[in-house]
Amino acid sequence: MRRFPSLATLAAIAVNAAFGAALGAQDVLVSAAHITIAPDATLSPGRLLIRDGKVAFVGDEIPSEARQRARKLDYGEATIIPGFVMAQTTMGQDQDLAEAAFAFTPDLLAAEAFDPWHEDLAALAGLGITSFALSPSPRNVAGGIAALCKPGRDHARTADRELHLQLSLIGAARDQNRAPTSLLGAIDMLRTGFRDAKQGLQGGTDIAVLRQVLDGSRRAFIHASDYTELNAALDLAKEFAFEPVLVGAAEAEKVLGRLVQQKVAIVLGTLRPEMRLAELQLPATLARAGVPFCFAGDPGQLRLSAVLAIRHGLDRKLAQQALTRTPALFLGQQASIGSLRQGCAADFTVWSGDPLDLTSSLLATWVDGVRLEGDQPAGAR
Amino acid sequence: MRLTLVTLVAVFASAANSAAQDKVTVYKGARILPAGAAAIDGGVLIVQNGKIQSVGGASTPLPADASIVDCTGKTITPGLVDASFRGSNNTNDLNEQSDEVTPHLRVLDCLDPADPVFRAARRGGVTSVHVMPGTRNVIAGLGCAVKTWGSDPAKMVLARDTSLRIVMGSEPSLGNRAIRGGRVESMYYRRPTTRMGVVWEARKAFYDAKEDMTLNAPPSGSAPGREILKQVLQGKLTAYTTARSEQDIRTALRLAAEFGYQTVIDDAQDAHYVIGELADAKVTVLLGAPSATAVSGTAGRDGADPRGATAVLLARAGVPFVITTGSNPDALDLVREAMFAARNGLLPERALDAVTIEPARLLGIDARVGSLAAGKDADFVIWSHHPLDPAALAETVCIDGLEVQSQ
Repeated sequence: MRRFPSLATLAAIAVNAAFGAALGAQDVLVSAAHITIAPDATLSPGRLLIRDGKVAFVGDEIPSEARQRARKLDYGEATIIPGFVMAQTTMGQDQDLAEAAFAFTPDLLAAEAFDPWHEDLAALAGLGITSFALSPSPRNVAGGIAALCKPGRDHARTADRELHLQLSLIGAARDQNRAPTSLLGAIDMLRTGFRDAKQGLQGGTDIAVLRQVLDGSRRAFIHASDYTELNAALDLAKEFAFEPVLVGAAEAEKVLGRLVQQKVAIVLGTLRPEMRLAELQLPATLARAGVPFCFAGDPGQLRLSAVLAIRHGLDRKLAQQALTRTPALFLGQQASIGSLRQGCAADFTVWSGDPLDLTSSLLATWVDGVRLEGDQPAGAR
Repeated sequence: MRLTLVTLVAVFASAANSAAQDKVTVYKGARILPAGAAAIDGGVLIVQNGKIQSVGGASTPLPADASIVDCTGKTITPGLVDASFRGSNNTNDLNEQSDEVTPHLRVLDCLDPADPVFRAARRGGVTSVHVMPGTRNVIAGLGCAVKTWGSDPAKMVLARDTSLRIVMGSEPSLGNRAIRGGRVESMYYRRPTTRMGVVWEARKAFYDAKEDMTLNAPPSGSAPGREILKQVLQGKLTAYTTARSEQDIRTALRLAAEFGYQTVIDDAQDAHYVIGELADAKVTVLLGAPSATAVSGTAGRDGADPRGATAVLLARAGVPFVITTGSNPDALDLVREAMFAARNGLLPERALDAVTIEPARLLGIDARVGSLAAGKDADFVIWSHHPLDPAALAETVCIDGLEVQSQ
């Protein structure tokens, strides 16, 4: 909890003042040897014109007059890619994101638990993460609605208060001291809720949220890890005709056929070197089957997860996509984050080499056209 | 690694399966015990497309292009059917403890084909099982009949919603007491805490359902379980009442008579004390683990007094019965339980029928499994010895003509 600006912040403000209304008003022209705009579009060399925190122009589209006027930042031989997007995290605020007395709380908003000064948020820029979906805890069967948040220079902010509905069937959602105590009970709790939403048997703000899932206006993310949980989640999705995103999905290879058939997407947890081979190969397996997936889990291990997936057969480009464009797509935010197309937020990371090569280092992280991490490049004018 | 292998094996098995199933396979030379029919020495079992084409003696004509498996010296029986089987060792997930009456919960929703209990069953020659929710609720939910092999529960199903499990005795009340000095606001501070309370919960549930029917009330959305109870009252669904001790069996019969529903008595350890009542009530009895010397899972509170001779006594009195492994975690393999009953005087043919065709009939799945006859699923076991011989080993177990276990 940091309610008062730190020395560093004060210094930053002073620097800002000294360099004039630089970042707010003046365009910034960022150039580097390679800029990945989107998974299928890399410019070598590349240029971005940033205006008001957004990508205003890319490459040759930049008008020459704007190019002249802009402040120029040249990252030389570096590689620039869109910032990482985490599609699911409780970001150290788990205690505040699970209403403990009752497991069915679909109408709670994670945005209302969000502490923009939380100390864990300060580390995000250093990890290359430029936006994340702060999600209700998987300890509740129907936890609530996730929010899109972004790190900032001194504190973070909420970019979208209402994303998807977060549901959970994993062990953490079952508790011997309140309903449900069992997987059977957890399945029934969701089935009863969806059935009531479908038949209009019950009103209330909680059922209204489930109704949004049924009419397609809100996506549902379901935490499900082992076979029985995944199967139950897929059964519910089939019964009530929605296309969920499954979170965790450690045993996804056992239900691969159904994932394809029901057009389900996956948010994977952290990969660790000591895991079973089948788990490490899961991203490659999903890619071969055509199941869309992204990486999430421990923010500190996000990049390493992607690297491990590459080590176990995942295509390098797909791995990068699973950190940027794909999670943005799952969150329905592809127009503003996950790529550097015209109109998107200027959220990007600068790397000394290939971002998914562990010998490359992170040189800078920018969010909304503001540099949060790293030094000014030598060639700044 | 293990999972990948399992997956690969499953993939190859199913690929091999479709090829193997088209082919005609003849199992020849074994003593065939078809269940519900006379034994055939030097018999011939012909299988194609996962179904039994024919069963007969040595003179049965063999198709020209068939592959022949020599089973001389072996015994072939139908795959065994366990009418009361624990679908998982993880009992927490089969018992929803937030409510005592949960008739609409389906155990099928959380079965895992890779659960070790299914592998153990196949190893013992069991190819079909009846799984019910756990025994910690008064009215636990809906059971289903499934095969012990399949890539997902939907493909294993033989019959959905075969039963509604009701539990008598002290087990549902366990844990429901105010811990001295504990938190009174806990959800476990509730009825039942006694045997009386267990019966009260069940009676109240059926009373409410019956009242609904009498008043012709519209289907109740807020109580989905009530529709299930109505089905039981209308005779569309059979109750399986788990009742181990003498007094619980009597209570189970009384409750069924009071509301006029049909019930099976599950895990009836004390059946030998109430044979007359069971015969009068015309109920089928599931004998959970005849080998049991004490009733497990209830800390001995139920005080049941199982006897090895119960099966014989039931047979003599003409009470239909089925041998199962029940909810007893100390149960032996199903075939060993049948052996134990035979050891205590039950005719071997009756003992085998009690783990094959009888449970299949009870569950209404006998058109597909439970005996060896043309047109039925090719679910069978090749035993090294007569299955009731203590040395008998299930050498090959086939489900739908596919070899799912061999040793």
